[in-house]
Amino acid sequence: MDKLLLNPIRLKIISSLLGVSSCDFNHLQKVTESSKGNLSVQLKKLEESNYISISKSFKNNYPNTSCSITKLGSKRFEEFFKSLMSLRK
Amino acid sequence: MTKEEQIKIINDAIIQTKTSLKPLGYNLLFWGILIISMSLFHYFFPELVQFSNYSSLVYWIAIPVIGMIYTTYYNIKTGHKIGYETQLGRVVKIIWAVFGLSWLLHVAISLIKGINSPTLEILFSLAIALVMTGLIIKFKNITIGGLLLLAFVVYNHVSPGLNFLLMNVYGIAFGMLIPGISLYRFKETK
Repeated sequence: MDKLLLNPIRLKIISSLLGVSSCDFNHLQKVTESSKGNLSVQLKKLEESNYISISKSFKNNYPNTSCSITKLGSKRFEEFFKSLMSLRK
Repeated sequence: MTKEEQIKIINDAIIQTKTSLKPLGYNLLFWGILIISMSLFHYFFPELVQFSNYSSLVYWIAIPVIGMIYTTYYNIKTGHKIGYETQLGRVVKIIWAVFGLSWLLHVAISLIKGINSPTLEILFSLAIALVMTGLIIKFKNITIGGLLLLAFVVYNHVSPGLNFLLMNVYGIAFGMLIPGISLYRFKETK
């Protein structure tokens, strides 16, 4: 099983990004129920592994971080989910 | 972490990023009320709307353009508030952006060609956009509304003597207003 997705926060991030074209930092913080610092660390790890892409912009003069899942991220999640289901049987 | 806990995490995260249908319901309601009000005003007070050669054209272009600016602002603001955009929401947004563009093109072509009113062409595009939206979001009332609107357009081709303004009122009421109300009042369950 993919060790990167064994972390609950990273699993929540990837699961949240599955059906969306983009998702901002604040929403991910709400979903993961984690601190800004911890979320930033986990996002960086996923980005470094090319599971997600992060874009930074300004929204109403405030910095805004937006994330989306990559093809590799979707593929890894699919594999992770399949192995999870096979282990469950 | 057990397998069940992992599946629960995945399930909960997906549920929290589902498509919100309320903004679409609000858009349909807004346009339904606006177009019906404009049509009825034009029908009952033609002397006010048609006081010059171009006044009715200005009336039917300026107000919808203001409406477009307002709904674009509303949709951007709502998008920022929600914090994410689903693939489904993106598809629906593109359909309505294409409809907006086709509306502008119909008006421009009718101006260039000197056609009196592009109402039928606009209602046809609107019906197609509604049917597509209804099928994509799997909301029967919108699909039925779009099909009814399409039937109005076809009926007008069979009986061309119908009043365009009244046809607008009936078509928009069944195609946008009623489905918009039902979508706006629709309770999104987990």
